[in-house]
Amino acid sequence: MAIYKRGYQRYDGPLAPHAARLGVLVRDAWRRATAPRLVTALLAASCLWPLLCAFFIYIANHAELWSGLDRNFASILSIDHQFMLTFMKVQAVFSVILAALAGPGLVSPDLANQALPLYFSRPISRLDYVLARLAALAGLLSLVTWAPGLLLFIMQASMAPPGWLAANWRLGAGLVAGFWLWILLVALAAVASSAWVRWRLIAGALVLGYFFVLSGIGAVVNGIFRVEWGDLINPIRAAYGVWCALLGAPMPQGLTLPMSLGALAMMGALLALIVERRLRPVEVVS
Amino acid sequence: MSQPVVEIEDLHVELGRREVLHGISCRLGVSSRGRAIGLLGPNGAGKSTLIRTLLGFHRPTRGSARVLGFDCHRERRQVLERIGYMPETDSFVASMTGVEFLRVLAALSGLPGPVALEKAHETLFHVGLGEARYRTLGTYSLGMRQMARLAQAIVHGPELVILDEPTNGLDPAARRRMLDLIRQMKDEHGMSVIVCSHLLADVEQVCDEVVILKDGAIVHHADLEAERRANRRFVELEVEGDDSGLGAALEQRGAACVREAAGLWRIVLPVDLDVRALWSLAAAQGLSVRRLTQRRDTLEEIFMKAMGLLRRTPGEAAASEEVEIHGDL
Repeated sequence: MAIYKRGYQRYDGPLAPHAARLGVLVRDAWRRATAPRLVTALLAASCLWPLLCAFFIYIANHAELWSGLDRNFASILSIDHQFMLTFMKVQAVFSVILAALAGPGLVSPDLANQALPLYFSRPISRLDYVLARLAALAGLLSLVTWAPGLLLFIMQASMAPPGWLAANWRLGAGLVAGFWLWILLVALAAVASSAWVRWRLIAGALVLGYFFVLSGIGAVVNGIFRVEWGDLINPIRAAYGVWCALLGAPMPQGLTLPMSLGALAMMGALLALIVERRLRPVEVVS
Repeated sequence: MSQPVVEIEDLHVELGRREVLHGISCRLGVSSRGRAIGLLGPNGAGKSTLIRTLLGFHRPTRGSARVLGFDCHRERRQVLERIGYMPETDSFVASMTGVEFLRVLAALSGLPGPVALEKAHETLFHVGLGEARYRTLGTYSLGMRQMARLAQAIVHGPELVILDEPTNGLDPAARRRMLDLIRQMKDEHGMSVIVCSHLLADVEQVCDEVVILKDGAIVHHADLEAERRANRRFVELEVEGDDSGLGAALEQRGAACVREAAGLWRIVLPVDLDVRALWSLAAAQGLSVRRLTQRRDTLEEIFMKAMGLLRRTPGEAAASEEVEIHGDL
């Protein structure tokens, strides 16, 4: 029977499990995150650097292509922690811009249109809502961070002489672990800024400000006061310190692993607190 | 014994450092029997806080609130699986189409994917948004968005639907449609409905029970259905002709009556005597009926009394006169 002739009937069949409802939330968040055309354009643009790196790896593993060149050229063409760190730094910038474009659309519209009571009057919790948003964003950021990074690592491992993988497995593991830590921070910052302000444009600007302006302020603090604790408010430098430790590269001057991890943990906790305070079904004015 | 839809025991709720609900207790509705409960009260009485506590948005500082047998705080998920909620504020996701909006919310309530989509279409047709279901919600008018909010509250077929100011901002036709839908929800689909409204006429039209809140406490809980039944017994009759034998004839049929003036009678009918019998009784006495009205307390009178603005309702006045009449007999 045609649906318009049938009339309304109450549903009394079995209900889907809780995990299926989480899936609905994640799919909804993914649809929103990928809706802006700029996100698609940026995703395409973020493939350029990995493609260049892939070309670089190909050249580095085909000695016959550069045999006639300077001997020092061989040292430039080595696939080591420096290569991976450079790759990570460039892709990290793309990931921040991507989060600034896609992140605000996840929560801000719900706040602006007061849709949160509609979600929270369903059998899902605030944590489910936030996790779904973070998962969608993490999935999107994965496309420009560890996923291409891992592909490059696999490519290098398959082209390199036997023994390279055994000697350099830490590069692959460090790259994936380092990027996941970064994704968590970026996704949290995007959700927190989206929950903090109702306007998408300002929420996007906040994400960029959090990473780039705060880094600048951290550097200025270090420079003016001749101290090193400015790095504690610099998310990029703190993450870079952890990446160096994970990839086995020398730590940047004035930075230690505990200090970097502590700074990241502090920033993560602060962002989580913002999300916790802002994402409520109703606002209570004391 | 039938289970109440809402069971509240000594419920205290604090918002910030201010206690908003001061130990309220009540049992509302009967589960599996479609009844509508009106929640009334002036601004700041605690209506919204009570609703939000039932939804698990606020944690009680003392006491408990149970919906359909489940504790609103400890068994929140079970409660929310059985509830549909239409908030007072304009809540929607502007970028979603009507059908997409309902499908997502139905699926979040636990409906399997294909069923959620089917129910989304079905419900949108039911509330009159069938033709607009592929338009984004941002393009809907206020009345359409109100209907979409009602649709999302019932799309998953809940046992209890909580409607916060459902007729706010609606034009008369849309308001009538909304009230018809509420009546259908309880009469045809067996849903229990809680209607929170400032419009007493709306509550009076659709509700069977009414709870009046004032300053965070329940000041009146009335069964409107029983009151309507009782009200039907008080009649004012105005006749033309010689009515000297009417009193005896009425008493013979078990009615108590008093003649207020020539041709003007106030009558209390016995339970087994229908008001239509008065017509034949008057005809038998050779009287022509000029006016026959049944006394009823309007919800407004009940509300005013609960607010302390009225000493007693006209219905109560009639009831006390009934005692006096019986005393004379």
